[in-house]
Amino acid sequence: MRAAATALDAREQRALEHWQARRRWARAGLVYTLMLAFAIVFVGPLLFAALSSLKTDPLEYPPTLAIPQLQPSNWSAAARLGLAGAGDRWFGGFAPGAVVPFEISYFVADGVEVSEPEVIVPRRRPGAGLGAVLTIEYAADFASVSPLERRPDVPMVITTADEERSGRKVSYTFTIRYEGDGPTIDRLPLDVTTAVGMQYLDSTLTASRLERRGRTASFNDVAPGVLGYVLRNYVRTFNEVRSPATRQSLFLAWIGNSFTFAFVRIVVTLVIASMAGYALARLRFQGRELIFMLVLFAQMVPLQVLFISNYLVLRDGILTIGGFTLSSLWGYPGGMLNSLTGLVFVTALNAGAVFIMKQFFESIPREVEEAAMIDGASHWRRYWNVVLPMARPALGALTILTFQGAWNDFFWPFIVLTSPESIKTLPIGLLSFRNTYGAVGDWGLILAGAVMSAIPVIILFVVFQRYFLEGVSFGGGKE
Amino acid sequence: MRTKRADTVAAYLFLLPFLALLTIFFLYATARAVYFSFTDYDLFRPPNWVGLRNYVALFNDALFLSALRNSILFAVVVTAVQTFLALVMAAVLNQKVRGIGFFRAAFYMPSITSSVVITLIFLWMFQRRGLINYLNESLQRAAPILLAFVALAITVQVAQVVWERRRALPATWTDPALLVISLLVAGGATWLLVTTGVLAARDVPQVDFIWLQTRDTIPAGAPFWLAVPIPLAAIMIQNVFTTIPTFMLMYLAALQDVPRSHYEAASIDGANATQQFFRITIPSVAPVTFLVLTLSMIGTLQMFDQVAIFGDAAPLRSVVTLAYFVYNRMFPGAQTPEVGFAAAGAMFLAVLTLVVVLLQRRLVRSEGY
Repeated sequence: MRAAATALDAREQRALEHWQARRRWARAGLVYTLMLAFAIVFVGPLLFAALSSLKTDPLEYPPTLAIPQLQPSNWSAAARLGLAGAGDRWFGGFAPGAVVPFEISYFVADGVEVSEPEVIVPRRRPGAGLGAVLTIEYAADFASVSPLERRPDVPMVITTADEERSGRKVSYTFTIRYEGDGPTIDRLPLDVTTAVGMQYLDSTLTASRLERRGRTASFNDVAPGVLGYVLRNYVRTFNEVRSPATRQSLFLAWIGNSFTFAFVRIVVTLVIASMAGYALARLRFQGRELIFMLVLFAQMVPLQVLFISNYLVLRDGILTIGGFTLSSLWGYPGGMLNSLTGLVFVTALNAGAVFIMKQFFESIPREVEEAAMIDGASHWRRYWNVVLPMARPALGALTILTFQGAWNDFFWPFIVLTSPESIKTLPIGLLSFRNTYGAVGDWGLILAGAVMSAIPVIILFVVFQRYFLEGVSFGGGKE
Repeated sequence: MRTKRADTVAAYLFLLPFLALLTIFFLYATARAVYFSFTDYDLFRPPNWVGLRNYVALFNDALFLSALRNSILFAVVVTAVQTFLALVMAAVLNQKVRGIGFFRAAFYMPSITSSVVITLIFLWMFQRRGLINYLNESLQRAAPILLAFVALAITVQVAQVVWERRRALPATWTDPALLVISLLVAGGATWLLVTTGVLAARDVPQVDFIWLQTRDTIPAGAPFWLAVPIPLAAIMIQNVFTTIPTFMLMYLAALQDVPRSHYEAASIDGANATQQFFRITIPSVAPVTFLVLTLSMIGTLQMFDQVAIFGDAAPLRSVVTLAYFVYNRMFPGAQTPEVGFAAAGAMFLAVLTLVVVLLQRRLVRSEGY
């Protein structure tokens, strides 16, 4: 009797354990699902923006992920057309002697008269804004379109949700030639206009957009090359946005400025913060408490309080004594606004970095210095030969965080770098993108620029994830 | 004694570059900002002492009052929402599962990119024919289907729990194993209903909500101090989105230190998930909550970038914050700069920030964290 009861208990016990195990599995499944959902929420907008930056018009409505630029059939067509246009399968173009073959097809319902489309190479300005004032060559001045050749019709039926329409597929082929001599031109736009009733089906390359109620199939470039087609907006950011005076690519200049600024700021921060951090952590001296208080305090005062005076300090060249301006030492007798040097000066005060280095040096045991101390090594030797080599992890973390801070910095570059356009850093340059291209709804260029400017930090993050995530628990929120 | 003096000399040599910068760009700058706030300086003519005139004028200035209102509403709403959501998400994700590193990295993505990149992307999504309005419209369209799914899932779950309890098994209302079954069953049933045509998406008018170029507020017609301008709400959404992951990870780190046994004990005593959240989770992460609240308040009170990047995409009054007010008075375009006035506004911002910091310090000390 009792044995039976225990057996029953044991069985119940096992059932309960089984039941609990099932719950744990289910919970793990739900947690993964939720994490996936959160990941989609947080990465989704960035990913969607990155994909949309490939679109001809990222503002198309409804927004879709069926992007012609991601269709392999268009890639091979773009490569072929690029080869035909300028012998360049990657970036395409339109060069003397080019013969670009093209085909376009329409659906014509039964009973609708077929009329031959009109093909023109339009004189279309590439984009608005910063590139609009440059003089450029137009493909229209050099291109000639051959007579259209009608291919044999193919019967077809179009089925939509509520009706079935029978008719035929009408296709035309033609070539665009570059006759005579002339410059190589970046792009070859094309407009193909038909009569009402003929419905655009497809073409060698998918049309960039349909205009005039679908009558005009408009192509931005029918000799683009693969990269010129898929990454059109990206190529445009480099090619179209140029300084009117020097024709220098502004986007390239901004990237260069951002890297220079980040690099110099890293060096400056490492030197100043490690020296100050060492003194605060290891040396006993009058005024140490006060200076440390200031380090803490300096992190709390809003930038906007300091910026009024600091702006003036830069404008006036830091200090003027008896007609001598201190900034002359760095080659800026007339003040340091609109210069990277000025930007470095005004952002060099980094109390947070001093704090991090002080904390790190305090975590190194004092004993490591004692041998050097007995040898009578100076403070400088102890700092340079003993402590600093041990501080590599902290210096590494500080390098990465400083790079991120400098690369993403907005406020000071926004104040200091206002003109000319070529002096700006990437974030400020992107802002002038927004001002010039956002107004005309040309979001492709803006998104492409934004995606490119995010890439270095994302790479850094993927490689040195640990430092970023430790930074969270270390210093708290983002700078 | 000699070594002490040698130490002092060495220390100041080490500190020299830092102290030079600190003196010029912090001490001198702060002192000058305080001084300017009592003058009528305009960048060109020498400043004249005007006493408290700038401070009095602030409270008669419509732009400043908008900035003050916007800054406070922004800080309070964003801090409350993002702290709460970060904690809830961290509590949900606080499980020992493999591969959490990958997800942590994914969540952190919005926080590492620059404010310009994120703001530009959100500006694009907030366009009249943008992604946000499209999602809103799609959600409304699919509302009947979603509601049916939720109702079905709840029904199945309740039925299962009741049945398990009659079998004397200790199933809670949110039992994960049963929940998985309920969700699958409800999903399948909804799919059947849709394919057989019993359920269909609603026809809804196109959503044309204007997020940016508008002076309207939420709630519409609310008194001045409680009305959140719609463009400001857009920035709030963006800010919550970018900052939640940071705070969530801070919470997750703290939650990993809470002993599992606390939850197991509570669970044996019959506490459900909600009770566990309020009785165990919230109290044990209180120190982190203080930190998160302070960081969030300081960060949001000083919000500047988004306003500058929105620029003429939204009316100035609807998005201006204290930080941007200072900039705007310093560089008012075609007008004469009002440096004194800007400095007075900056003082206001500084005091507000310091109050938050001191309040946190005091609370931390009295609570013993």
